[in-house]
Amino acid sequence: MPERAYMGIDIGSSSSKAVIIDRDAAIRGEHIINLGTGSRGPADAIAKAFEQAGITKVDRTVATGYGRILFKEADKQITEISCHARGVKQLVPTAETVVDIGGQDAKVIRVKPDGRVENFVMNDKCAAGTGRFLEVMSRVLGVGIDQLSELADKGKPGVNISSTCTVFAESEVISQLSSGSSIEDVALGAHRSIAERIVGLAGRVGIEDDVVMTGGVALNDSVVQAVEDVSGHKITRLKDPQGMGAFGAALYARDLDN
Amino acid sequence: MNGINDKINELKAISQNPGQSVAQAIKDTGKKAVGCFPIYTPDEVVYALGLLPVGMWGGPSKGNKSSKYLQTFCCSIMKANTEQALGGDYDMLSAVIVTSFCDTLKCIIEDWKIAVPHLNIVPIVYPQNRKSNSGKTYFKAELKRVADELAEITDTSYTDESLAAAVDLYDEYRRTLQDFVKSVAEKPGLITPLERHHVVKAGYFIDKKDYVPKVKALTEDIRAAEVPSDRQGLNPIVISGIIGEPDGLLEVFDECGFTVVGDDLAQESRQFRTIAPNVGDGFDRMVERIAMQDGCAFLYDEEKRRGRMIVDLAKETGAVGVIFNQLKFCDPEEFDWPLVKKEFNAAELPYLYIETEQQMDSLEQVRTSIQTFGELL
Repeated sequence: MPERAYMGIDIGSSSSKAVIIDRDAAIRGEHIINLGTGSRGPADAIAKAFEQAGITKVDRTVATGYGRILFKEADKQITEISCHARGVKQLVPTAETVVDIGGQDAKVIRVKPDGRVENFVMNDKCAAGTGRFLEVMSRVLGVGIDQLSELADKGKPGVNISSTCTVFAESEVISQLSSGSSIEDVALGAHRSIAERIVGLAGRVGIEDDVVMTGGVALNDSVVQAVEDVSGHKITRLKDPQGMGAFGAALYARDLDN
Repeated sequence: MNGINDKINELKAISQNPGQSVAQAIKDTGKKAVGCFPIYTPDEVVYALGLLPVGMWGGPSKGNKSSKYLQTFCCSIMKANTEQALGGDYDMLSAVIVTSFCDTLKCIIEDWKIAVPHLNIVPIVYPQNRKSNSGKTYFKAELKRVADELAEITDTSYTDESLAAAVDLYDEYRRTLQDFVKSVAEKPGLITPLERHHVVKAGYFIDKKDYVPKVKALTEDIRAAEVPSDRQGLNPIVISGIIGEPDGLLEVFDECGFTVVGDDLAQESRQFRTIAPNVGDGFDRMVERIAMQDGCAFLYDEEKRRGRMIVDLAKETGAVGVIFNQLKFCDPEEFDWPLVKKEFNAAELPYLYIETEQQMDSLEQVRTSIQTFGELL
């Protein structure tokens, strides 16, 4: 049991992530649940993280993510943009750019040497370039979202999907399938579409190496590869890209204790 | 603070209920009302005719009747105005002056002539070269045409004296608001960004003669008050763009620890930051005022001063950053943004660019951006 414990809880639109660290920033408990804000997801993620850490309370808590404002038990609410930057910088000190693609939004963050945000850009209401886009694509292609990457690996380039609008893209996919394109090729085209959207967004703040990708979409190998191809930058992916916001929040929680 | 709150609440009630406020103003003054589209309509001419100029800056109205005339990418103020016109909200107006600063406004002039002909549309075309003698000659003739057209529609008339008096009153109104926003900057945090906005906006819906004393009294109270301890230490910022709406947007500013100490909004300071010089007759003064008005996306400025003006405003008011609120999909503002951004970068002035619509159900993504801006400051 750690002497002092700090928790970061990242309550996203489609998942909840809890990370508990000790005074040395070592992770003592961590849990991710695919239930987001407004569900029992946050409470379950916290319970599991507590269980893993072998504790029943923490000294400080910082909430982040879409549902951060509603999580009243936190000592402080900090945006996921700041938290992803902080978490990444702790693990990859050379990181200058963070690409965070979550369930319903995408951000490109330029990071200062001290882990604070230098500049950032995020998508607007549009779902293109986010996890939601992948959900729509997987539904249209009739496969699970976790199968999309494997499917795209077998695809051949050449199918272009609109990078502007998820609704239009859905129509385009149906049209491509109707005209005989394979679902593998279409899946690859959809991943390329996300990458083009993200790299376009990144143009507003610039991409500098090292580039680290976080968020749930970073679990998709094909999207990461597509972002590398389109941007021309090597992408570093962490072991747990989804938990990076919660980890950064836990680091901020530790700061509150100092 | 009670006196301040009472005065703000009175102005806020006027601002938040434009229809009722205008109906009341018509009743109180006995004047006919004339709608004035954004931005720089010749309100002084309307006033000189013994009419009541009323601002038409959209609103929360939603619907789909306007899509018969305007595409989805048209700006939300124009869509809301059209929606309200089609719904009969503007039937109390005797005429409507529509400017032609952007493509959407140009379409509105023709659309409304067909869609709501009873509203008596009076278009006005501003000169591209507003500083040249030929531009000024043209503009004076255009102002006279608008005055004559309005006089005929409303069966009213003006004199040189009534126009001069109207220009004097509007200059007084502009000086009063200049002083008000200065007082707010002197006491950062005392009133919220939303309250500041509603005080300014209320002026669009009542007679300026009645509005000016209210704002003067409020300004005096602000100067005499102390900022409560729990309102101190907020991040002072300048906001730029067309409008500071919806209300929720400015509430997010406050929740994220920002206080507005200056603005470059088309609906707010751009309306009153330039005073008419005392040259010639009333028309000449109006012409010269527009010639002097710089730093606006809708008025051609070959020296592209807007960015520098915002940087200077930030320095004068002690602002730590600027929030540029891009109203979707206002292309004159979008054309300005790269030039403005360049000036911010050169001055190392922190800034945040957000895109909003006047009617937004969810502000969560904007909230995240604004909160992050506070965190990085």
